[in-house]
This record gives sequence, C-alpha cells and structure tokens, in this order.
Amino acid sequence: MSEGCSKKGASFIVLISTSIQFNTQIYFSKMSSKESCRNELRTAIRQLSDRCLYSASKWAAEQLVGIEQDPAKFTPSNTRFQRGSSSIRRRFRTNEITSTPPTGFAYVSTPVMEEDEAIHGDFYLLAKSYLDCREYRRAAHVLRDQTGKKSVFLRCYALYLAGEKRKEEEMIELEGPLGKSDAVNRELVSLERELSTLSKNNMIDPFGLYLYGLVLKEKGNEILARKVLVESVNSYPWNWSAWSELQSLCTTVDILNSLNLSTHWMKEFFLASVYQELRMHNESLSKYENLQGMFTFSNYIQAQIGKVRYSLREFDQVEVIFEDLLRNDPYRIEDMDTYSNVLYTKEYFSALSYLAHRVIMTDKYRPESCCIIGNYYSLKGLHERSVMYFRRALKLNKKYLSAWTLMGHEYVEMKNTPAAVDAYRRAVDINPRDYRAWYGLGQAYEMIGMPHYALHYFQKSVFFQPIDSRLWIAMAQCYESEQLHMLEEAIKCYKRAANCNDTEAIALHRLAELHRELGHPEEAAFYYKKDLERMEAEEREGPNTVEALTFLATHYKTQKRFEEAEVYCTQLLDYTGPERETAKTLLRGMRIAQSGFPSMDVEHFHP
Amino acid sequence: MAGVVKAPAPGAFAITPHKVSLCILVHTYASPSQISVPFPFSSVSQHNRLGLYLLALTKSCDDILEPKLDQLINQLREIGGLLDDWLTDHVTSRLSSLSAPDDLFNFFNELRETLGGPDSGVMDDDQVILDPNSNLGMFLRRCILAFNLLTFEGICHLLTNIGIYCKEAISSSSYEHRLDDSGNDLESLSEYENMDLNLVFKKINEEMEARKKATEQVSFHLHLPKDLSTLVEDVEVFADPKPEHNEKGGESSSYASGDLLRDVDPDGGVFLRTNWQIQGYLMEQADAIEKHGSSFTFNAFELTLRQLQKLAPEFHRVHFLRYLNNLYHDEYFSALENLHRYFDYSAGTEGFDFVPPAGSNDFGRFEIALLCLGMMQFHFGHPKRALEVLTEAVLVSQQQCNDTCLAYTLAAICNLLSEIGFSTTSGILGSPFSPMTNVGTSLSVQQQLFVLLNGSLKKAESLKLKQLIAANNLAMAKFGLTHVQRPLLSFGPKISMKLRTCPIVVCKELRSGYHLISDFCCEGSTMTTDGAFSTAWLKNLQKPMGSLVMSQDNGSGNNSNPFLFFTQPSSIPGSVLQLVGSSYLHRATAWEMYGSAPLARVNALVYATCFADASSSSDAVVVHVKLIQHLAAFKGYKEAFAALKIAEEKFLCASKSRILILKLQLLHERALHRGHLKLAQQVCDELGVLASSVTSVDLELKTEASLRHARTLLAAKQFSQAAAVAHSLFCMCYKFNLQVENATVLLLLAEIHMKSGNAVVGLPYALASLSYCQSFNLDLLKASATLTLAELWLSLGSNHSKTALTLLHGAFPMILGHGGLELCARAYITEAKCYLSDPSFSVSDNPELVLDPLRQAADELQALEYHELMAEAFYLMAIVYGKLGQLQQREEAASSFKNHIVALDHPHDADDPFLS
Repeated sequence: MSEGCSKKGASFIVLISTSIQFNTQIYFSKMSSKESCRNELRTAIRQLSDRCLYSASKWAAEQLVGIEQDPAKFTPSNTRFQRGSSSIRRRFRTNEITSTPPTGFAYVSTPVMEEDEAIHGDFYLLAKSYLDCREYRRAAHVLRDQTGKKSVFLRCYALYLAGEKRKEEEMIELEGPLGKSDAVNRELVSLERELSTLSKNNMIDPFGLYLYGLVLKEKGNEILARKVLVESVNSYPWNWSAWSELQSLCTTVDILNSLNLSTHWMKEFFLASVYQELRMHNESLSKYENLQGMFTFSNYIQAQIGKVRYSLREFDQVEVIFEDLLRNDPYRIEDMDTYSNVLYTKEYFSALSYLAHRVIMTDKYRPESCCIIGNYYSLKGLHERSVMYFRRALKLNKKYLSAWTLMGHEYVEMKNTPAAVDAYRRAVDINPRDYRAWYGLGQAYEMIGMPHYALHYFQKSVFFQPIDSRLWIAMAQCYESEQLHMLEEAIKCYKRAANCNDTEAIALHRLAELHRELGHPEEAAFYYKKDLERMEAEEREGPNTVEALTFLATHYKTQKRFEEAEVYCTQLLDYTGPERETAKTLLRGMRIAQSGFPSMDVEHFHP
Repeated sequence: MAGVVKAPAPGAFAITPHKVSLCILVHTYASPSQISVPFPFSSVSQHNRLGLYLLALTKSCDDILEPKLDQLINQLREIGGLLDDWLTDHVTSRLSSLSAPDDLFNFFNELRETLGGPDSGVMDDDQVILDPNSNLGMFLRRCILAFNLLTFEGICHLLTNIGIYCKEAISSSSYEHRLDDSGNDLESLSEYENMDLNLVFKKINEEMEARKKATEQVSFHLHLPKDLSTLVEDVEVFADPKPEHNEKGGESSSYASGDLLRDVDPDGGVFLRTNWQIQGYLMEQADAIEKHGSSFTFNAFELTLRQLQKLAPEFHRVHFLRYLNNLYHDEYFSALENLHRYFDYSAGTEGFDFVPPAGSNDFGRFEIALLCLGMMQFHFGHPKRALEVLTEAVLVSQQQCNDTCLAYTLAAICNLLSEIGFSTTSGILGSPFSPMTNVGTSLSVQQQLFVLLNGSLKKAESLKLKQLIAANNLAMAKFGLTHVQRPLLSFGPKISMKLRTCPIVVCKELRSGYHLISDFCCEGSTMTTDGAFSTAWLKNLQKPMGSLVMSQDNGSGNNSNPFLFFTQPSSIPGSVLQLVGSSYLHRATAWEMYGSAPLARVNALVYATCFADASSSSDAVVVHVKLIQHLAAFKGYKEAFAALKIAEEKFLCASKSRILILKLQLLHERALHRGHLKLAQQVCDELGVLASSVTSVDLELKTEASLRHARTLLAAKQFSQAAAVAHSLFCMCYKFNLQVENATVLLLLAEIHMKSGNAVVGLPYALASLSYCQSFNLDLLKASATLTLAELWLSLGSNHSKTALTLLHGAFPMILGHGGLELCARAYITEAKCYLSDPSFSVSDNPELVLDPLRQAADELQALEYHELMAEAFYLMAIVYGKLGQLQQREEAASSFKNHIVALDHPHDADDPFLS
C-alpha cells in the first residue's frame, strides 16, 4: 500500500529514474565480468590498506566477498557463508537479473601504481607500523624527508589524523559554558598549503587528492572540495571513503547532476547512496537491486536496501532483511538502529531486548547501540531512561539526527514540551529537510494549545514531504481546532491527504463530515460514498459505516432519488442500534411519498 | 550539548589571556605596599585614572570579543600618560614571563595577596588593599576562582593562548607590513576564508558603494514630468543608508570587517567577553537597531552575530537579535525563521526582562513567542494574521496564568486596532475565544478597542508594570483624542450621553507618564546603561580630556557624553525615556488638534531637543515633520523647504516615506498657491501612488491623498468632480470613524459649494463641520469653519454682511492667536470684504479699518506666494484707494494686482532647489 503511495508521489522524478534505469541496463550489459571485478577489488584492498585507509579497504573487502562465487570453484566454507542469505533472497527476489554475458574487459583498468622508493621503503614500513599503532606524529616524523607520492600521502594522512585526534581531545577539554567548542584540526592550514602546491604541480596521486578534498571540506570550501574529490574518484574509483565524502557534499539533485563522473561500477554504489540521502527512495532501491545482481551476498547492499525500504515504510520486508543480515553477520552494529526502529513500531518487546543485549555485548560505546537501548526503554514506557540513552548516543555523535528526533518524541511522552521542542529544533538545524522533526515541533506546539503557531511547523514538514498523508492530516486537524476553526483550509488539507493514499482512512471520513457541517450535502455525499467504497474494499465496518449509510439514505431521500436511498436504507437494516429504526422510518416515509406521489402530481396539474 | 540547556551556566566566566593581563594591571594598581601612592604612580589622579580605566574595562560591552593585547596597549597609552611605557612593558614582560604552568600558579597566588581579608575595614589608612567586595575585587576573585577550577589541560590551554596573545600583539604592530610583503601568507589567509564569508565581504563592499552613490546623487524626481516607473526607482534611492549620519553603523561595520581577518584565524585565540558583557552588548545593539531602523547596517551585524553563534552555540539570544535585524530590514522569511528558532531553543525564558522568575511552572513561556509573532506579522503588514496570533496569545497566557504577557498582548492588540482601520472585526474578536468574552459582538471596533484598552490598563496597573501602564496611558490619550467615550452598555434609564471628547482626560493620561521617570530614577541602574557608559568612555579615550566637556559630537551621532561617566550617570533606561518622549509627541499632536499652534510647537521642540537621543528614528521623523509643517504654515515655504532639506539629509533612509510625504504635501500646497495646477495634480498623483502601497493600507495617507485630490480639482474649478471626490471621501471617513477627517472634509465640501456659487448648499456642510469640531474640541478647525461660514453668509448678499462680521469677530482671537498665515490672511480679507459690502459703511470715513487688514493680509501672503488671494487683496486695496482718491497708491496696488494675476496665469518654475 505505502509503496504504491510513494511511487505515485514520486512521479515527478520518474523521468530521471527511467533514464537512470536505462543507463544502468546499458552499463550492466557491458559490465566487466565478476572475475575482473574481483581482481580489481583485490588489488584495491591491498593498495588501500597499504595506505592505512582502513574503512575504505574494509568496505572493498566486504564487496569482494559479496560477489557470488563461481560455482565451479567455491569451497564448502564459502557455501556455508553464503547459504543463509540466498535462501531468504529467493523469497523476496522479484526482479532476478539475468546473468550478464561476460564481455570480459574492465572499464577502467587498475592503474599500476609505481612501486617507488625501493631504498626508502624501509622507512615507509616503519611509518606504516607506527600508524597501525596509532602513533600518528611518530609516523609523520619518520617520513619527513621522503618525497615519493606514497610516502607523502602517508605523512599527510598521519598529520591529518594526529590533528583529528587532538581535536577530539580538545573538544572535551575546551567545552565552554555556552557550548563553545572551537576546537579545530590545527594541521589543516599547513596540509592545505602543501597539498594545493602539490596538486598545482601535478605531483599528486588519487589518494592525495582524496585527502586534499577532505581537508577542503573541513575548511568549508565545498566547491573546490567537490572538484578535487571528483578528480580523485575518476582516477581511482575503488576508494569508497572518497565517494562517501563526495556524497556528503551532494545536498541537492542539481549538484549531483553537475558532477562530471566517469562511468564505473563504483559510481552505481555512489548514486544509490546519494539517492537514498536525497530521499529519492525508489531510484535508490532500483540501483541497489541492480547492484545485487553482481554483489549478491553483500551485507552492505542488503543493509542499505533495508534502510530504503524502511523509509518506504515496508516494515515487514525490512524485518526479514535485517533478521537475515544478523544471521550472517551477528556482530554487526552499523544500521542496526533502523532494525530497532522497525521492532519498535511492531512492538516486538523481546526481539528488541534481544537485539539490545547483543549489541551491547559487542560494543557498548557506539551511538547505534545507545539508540537501540533507548528505543527499548521507550517501548517499555520508561521514558527517563530512554532519554538517558539517547543522550549518551548524542554525546558520542552530536550530529546523530535520528537520536535528536527520537529524544524529542520521548520528551513529548514525558509532557516536557520545552525540552521536546529543543531536541526537535536541534535535529532541524542539523538537517533542515528532516520532516519528522518539523512534524514533531508542530505536534509539540499543538499539544500546548497553540495551533496557529504549530501551523508554521506543519507547513514546513509538508513542504519537505508532500506525499505523507499523516502530515496533511495533522495540519488539517490543526486548522479544525476550536481556536482556529478554519474549516475551508482543513478541507484542502484533507483533500491532499486523501490523494496521498491515507492508510488510516481518516481523511475521507473527515472530509465528508466537514462538508456536512458546512452545509455542502453534494460534496458530503460524494465523500461518504467514497469512504463506503473504501471500507467495503478493505472489509472494514464500524460506526463510520453506519454514519455514512444514514447520511446517504437521508440525503438521497431529500433529493427525491428514492431508489438510491432505498439501497442505503436496506444496507442500514443489517445493523443494530437506533440507526436501524431510522432506516425503517425512512423507508416507510419513502413508500408513503412514492405512493402519494402521483396524486400530488395530479393535484399539481389542477390548480 | 545536553538536551535542554536553558539558562547559561553560572560559571560562564572563563579565564582568558585578556583577563590575565587585566589581573596584572589590577595587581599593579593595588600592589600591597605601605605608601598611599604605590610605586610607579606619580600622583593620586594618575592612580585613580588607571582604576577608572580598569573598572570600565571590566564593565564595557562594545563588542562580543575581548580586546587584543595591542588594543589594550593602545588604550593604556592614552590613559597612562607618562607611565605608558612602564605599564606596557610591565604587562608584556609579565605575560611573556609566564612560560610554564607553575608560573601561572604562582601568579594567581600572588594575586590573592592583593585582596584584603573579610575584615579589611580595620586597615591602616595608608595601605592600598582591594576590598574583596568592590568591583575590581570581585573581578579578581572571580578570576582566581575560575583559575582554580581549571583542569591541568585547561591550564595548558591558557598558557598556549597567552603565548598566542602576546605573539599577535607583536606581529600586528606591523600588521600592514605583513599584509603587504608576504603574498603567500595573504593567499593562505584569503583561501582560508571560506566562500560565504567572501560573499559577505563582497556584500558589504556593495553596500558601501551603494551608500556612496546615494550620497552623491540624491535628486528629487520631479524636475521633469516622468512617468511613475521612474518615481519608484527614485524612491528606492532613499532606502540606501548614508554613512555620515550613521556613525554607529559605520563603526560596527568597520571593525567587524577588520576584525574578521584576524579573528577567524585558527591560530589566534578568540575569546568571548563574559556572558554578562555580551548580553549588554546585544541589548545595546537591539536598541540601536530599533533606533536606526533600516539604516542599521545589516550585513556587518549579521556577520558579528554569525561569529558569536559559532563561538557560543548555546547563546540563543543571538537568534533573537537576528530576528530583530531581519525585521527592521524587511526580510520576512528569515525574520520568521529566526523568531521560531529563538523560541524553540529558549522556550521564551531567556532574556525577557518582564518574565517572572520561572520555576513555578516549567512549561516554557511560549505565549511570548506568540506575542512576538503577532507583532512581527503586524510589522510586516498582515494585521489579520497578527490578530489571529495575538488572540491565540491571549488564550495561552490565560491558560498559563501569565498575566504579564496577557497585559502586553492586550496592549499589542489595542495598538493593532488603533493603527489599522478595521471597518469591522467581527469574526475575529467576536469569536467565542475573543479576549474579552464578556463583550458582546455587536460593538463597534472603537468600542471594543476602548474595552480592551481599559482591560489592559487595569491588568498593567495590578501587575505594577510601569512601562506598560505608561504606554497604555498614552494609548488611552490617543484614543480619547479622536473618539467619544460612549458608555458601552446602557441599561435602564438613559444615562445622559456626553457626546464630546474630553481634553481633560487626555491631559490626565498624558501626564501620568511622568511618574514613570521619577520611579525609575530611584530604582538604580540596570546593567546595560552601566556597561554602555563604560563603553562610551573607553571609546572616547582618544580625545583629549580637556575638550570633553565641550564636545558635542557635532550633533549627529550619539552624544552620550563621556564626561557623564565622571558625574552620576543618569540611570533611566532608554525605553523609559522613549515613552516619556512620546508622551510629548502625543501632547504636540493633541495641541495641534485642539488648535494651539504655539503649544504644539513647544512640545515638539521639547521632544526634538530633549529626547532626540532616546527616540527611535520613526518618532524623530514625526517630530521633524511636525516642526516643518509648522514652519510652512507660519513662516512660508522658503524656510520650510530649507528645514526639509536638513531633515532629508538627517533621515535619508530611516523613514523615507514620512519625509517624502511631507515633501509632496509642501510641494502640493505651494503649487496650489502659485496656481501651478499641473504640478499640483502630478504631486497629488504621486501621493495617491504612495497611498495605494502594497504592504498595507495606511488610512491616514489615503484620506490625505484624496483630500488633496479634491483640493486640486477645486483649484481647477471642476466643482462637480471635486464635490464627488470629497463626498466619497466623507463616506469612507464615516465608515472608519475618522472624526477629525470628517470635520475637515465637510468643511471642504462647504468651500467647494461656496466657490461654485451655491452658498445655500454650502451652509449645511459648514454647520455640520462646526458641530463636529465642537464635539471633538477641534478649536482651530472650528475657527476656520466659522470663517468659511462667514464667507458663505457674505456671498449670500450684502444684507448678511453684519452676520458675517459678527461671526468673524467671534473667531478672530483663535485665528490670529493660533492660525497660520493663510488662515489669518483669509480672515483679514473677509473682514475687509464685510466692511466694503456693508451698505452702512463708508470708506472715506474710516479707510484704515479696511486698508489695515488688507495690508496685513498682503504681507502674510507674500511668504506663501499665494497669488490668488494676493490679487484679491490688492484689488480691494486699489478700489479703496480709488474711492479715497489717492491715485498714486491706487496705481501701485493695481500694478501689484496685475503682477499677481499674470503670475497666476503663467506659473513658471522659480528658483527652486527641489525641482531642479
């Protein structure tokens, strides 16, 4: 149901998405074979970890293992590793991608990195060991006189990391009374100077460019950072860290379209993640599903699909996806907060507590872990504790958007409006497109009886997410409130909600009622009818049905459309209660009127 | 980062290098020695001067950032006189001697010795010891406490910061030099500035340029008949601020841009002043924004605010200042956004002075948010929205039992109702949630307003909110000025209806504002005024002390006299002064209406001289407008235009429309007098354009425009059209209960009918106008109506000239005492005409009885260049002289008559600074 809704709402980007799909098709048909892809990744992992780019090499390794093994070669251990997921996948796979004919060449052949500095290689080894032990300054010091590209990169990177570490420490030390934390990475200035001269003299390799982009981004020079990162990614596409930095700089579709990226399968990963961030969920989903054809067993892709489906509110599928993911990768913490959100919505107490337990045994001090525990306590109704854990999550990551919003929800539960408002506002200031937080703000203000003030926030939230019927309904209720009593506006909102596929079917009913109150019987009848049709389709019954039937019967009777009126009256007779009696009287009245009708007519003709 | 950080923590006093150097100075100032004047000082006054300086430094609040060492050294140079080298050396050497954490420990231990014990009263008289409870003593104690609270890491940071602080001073002494030579350095610096900062710089530059342009080419746009599109362009030129008359803004922009280069430098230590000092600074800025309106430089202040926000993210007041800044620069969306942001973060419990100490309930004060939102909507010209929001504010404050906010909200609603001409508010105030549920819905807007005013006043009185009481009194006075206070509901036997306004009540209301000042005088100073004086004193250090008393800052900028620092500073907050000032303004208006020109002028002058500093720019403009109008009526156009020119320069951007309207009014009047009808029509059209402004409907302006339209038509002798315009105007005024305007329009109608030769039709209009004037106590207008009535009688035939003369003589005292040149001249001429048309009067018996008034009239009209009336006067004179047989005088009068008739027929652009 909700999937259809989003599809309808997202029709404005259909054009884009079809063109994307088209490209993807072409791309995949030409895609390098699995084997060459595997070889690319293997080389890349070696090169990345040689440069201490751990998370990029981790990511690459995950994808490497994610590629479906050649059935001729796989070993029993491989099958064990991949079995569980494939069984699940078979259940949910809708669009199986036919295996592509191996055309057998890689788009961008892995550049052969020159193995420089045979003599100074020893220093490099020492420096790398230092870096592995997190002794950054020592590592940089060892490499102070080396001029090879690799050494220069490692030295700069070590300096950067040293600065970052010091920054983190200072952030705690310098935390001022007014939240002042002007801790900055003090290496940035010198690094930027050095890297910019290097890049001007063309003495820089893709890794150096990545670092340069990182530094530029930290310094706020986003345009140049984007340019540099694109350059880095075009010449060395396997560095996922560079891609994700680039992704964080793509805040609008326009920026994304302006990037000049050369084609590579890594670009598909990038696009999928950008679409996800830009809340173009369907596009993102189709990208990921395409990628899954190649990287069948990639946990990363699976988790991302789960997240996208969560945004599309397909909770059942998300649950299955994450269960499967946990089975394969039991010590995973990344993205598990999404899973906990699903468990929360479905009110699975024990499953949520189990997840929380497992996560806390794995790593206690991860924002995700804290968030999961917060969710658990919230489900148990222990809101103070829940707030405590959300706070901890935020202490670990100040910009953890969903924790702010969830904390706002908790404060709302605790009836502490100012605190809730504060939390939501922080979320909104971190990401102004977060419609949930805007919605929360509106709700908080509505709660304390300020509907007019709340309207501003609902308008904001609706602006950023115009396809969510709940938001429209909330706004309509605001307009309907006794203080404002702006029913015309409320009707407009309900109409929007009804068009957005309102799952809870509030809008139609309210539309009918409002029209009736305002004395628009025709419109009221229209919406009552629609509501009835819908209830019939969903096989629901309730007081609304009776109300609709009664109104329709009376309405048609006054309209002298007795046949329709009779239909509704007879339907009413199936229900118990006073309405049944009303229906009977109505029917009786109609019979009399009908029987009296000709005579009245005759009278009419004889003045 | 905690979820709810509401009030800034009390320990928001961080020890910084600047404070360390202050400590060094305090230590020098009060070094524990046995002599009365400690070592480096040569005289007591020198010693005291340093003390005063230190005191000012701890209190001043002219910026968010603490001064750098070089700034400090510069100031020391001013203050120290002969000692300057010694002091500077002492501070720098002491600072640079702090090289290890242990040095800091020792230093603060030493400091402790300067403080006397708790029983410092029993000291030797000669010994200098700092009283721990004195200002400097407190400062020292806070520093020591803050140091003791530091962790070891904190001490290390302090040490590095001191190093940077000293290094900067050395390098910045050759600051220009550094900028010049090292291209590399400059490049890195500019590259470091991220893009949007560069953008802001560009904006500031643009703003500066625009202002320059504005000062260069301010031309009035009437020199050629242009179409209206150019008019709009020209009007926009006025929007640009002018630097010379905006000293404050200019200053802030200069230091903001100057500082920025250094402050964002990552190596440079950036230290905020204390919380309290920043609050003071922001409050001062808020006042300045209000005072200068749109002439306050937007971007520079925005930059400062952005910086402050970066340095102190939990200091939410910044958002409110941003809101204010946007509000006064008509940036609707960002104003709205910042308003919401501020209240979301602060829940209305930060920074509002009238909030009773929270704690009784912890649910925030969001009703204040509503109040502010309502006022904002009103400011942006959405009165209906504003009323909705304010109604909600009333409701919420009732629920939260926040009577203070309720009182303010009611006052705001009153203001809204009285400013905006609602023909009806039913549906808004009449809803079941109306603020005063006990009031029926059948009341007129005026009656509702009266009820609300009373309610608000009572609330304010019971809560003892002095400022609000005063403001309400003023509103009451304003209401009483133009409205009859009918009893609201009359049951039973009819209460005798008093259908007159009540000047005594108005006077009483206006007077009650005075109590405010006396109350505030006893109440002691608030923190801003305190800080502001310190700031002003520090700023004026550069000026030689001798001339301080004389310096009046050439009148334009802020002349908060530095010497006041030495005398007892006046402790009346600016807002109170403003209120009292506006009571004078109201008084001037009241007298204007009641018809005493001299008293109106005196009150306006009192305001302009005594409250100019405290007044907001819009009020100041109003006063200037009043004074100029007065000049025009009593001294003629030449002087009025000269004054207008000055005013225009002074308020170039502030309230352009007000001045512009005045200019148009004056031009129109003069054009009418000179018989330059085309120009009159053109000016009139421009007024009409202003009146149909898009932002909101200004009824006053609208009536003004159509009144002038009717006048122009009358002068062009298109009587029926003029009558039609006047008639529709009357309908509108009646609908919106504009009583004073009603009287004026009726009088105009009478005149139209008189001029068209229908004196009989004109009579009832004149009488109606007279009765309006009577019931609203509009004495001058009444006199002028009487004059018209006399003219009407006179034109009915010579047998009515006696009646006319009696009427005229009845009105003479009022006209001659308070009327303007035109009115007097008209009265004189009418008097002469009465005599001349009286058959029983013979000229030869008593020629002076006629000639004297005619001469007077001619004299007075000279200044107005009122050709038509002048011609009439000379014509009459010529006739009289003819009858008397004085041929030479007759010829003279006749030739004058001819001159004026020619001038009337061929109006030409005389030398006119405003038209060229």
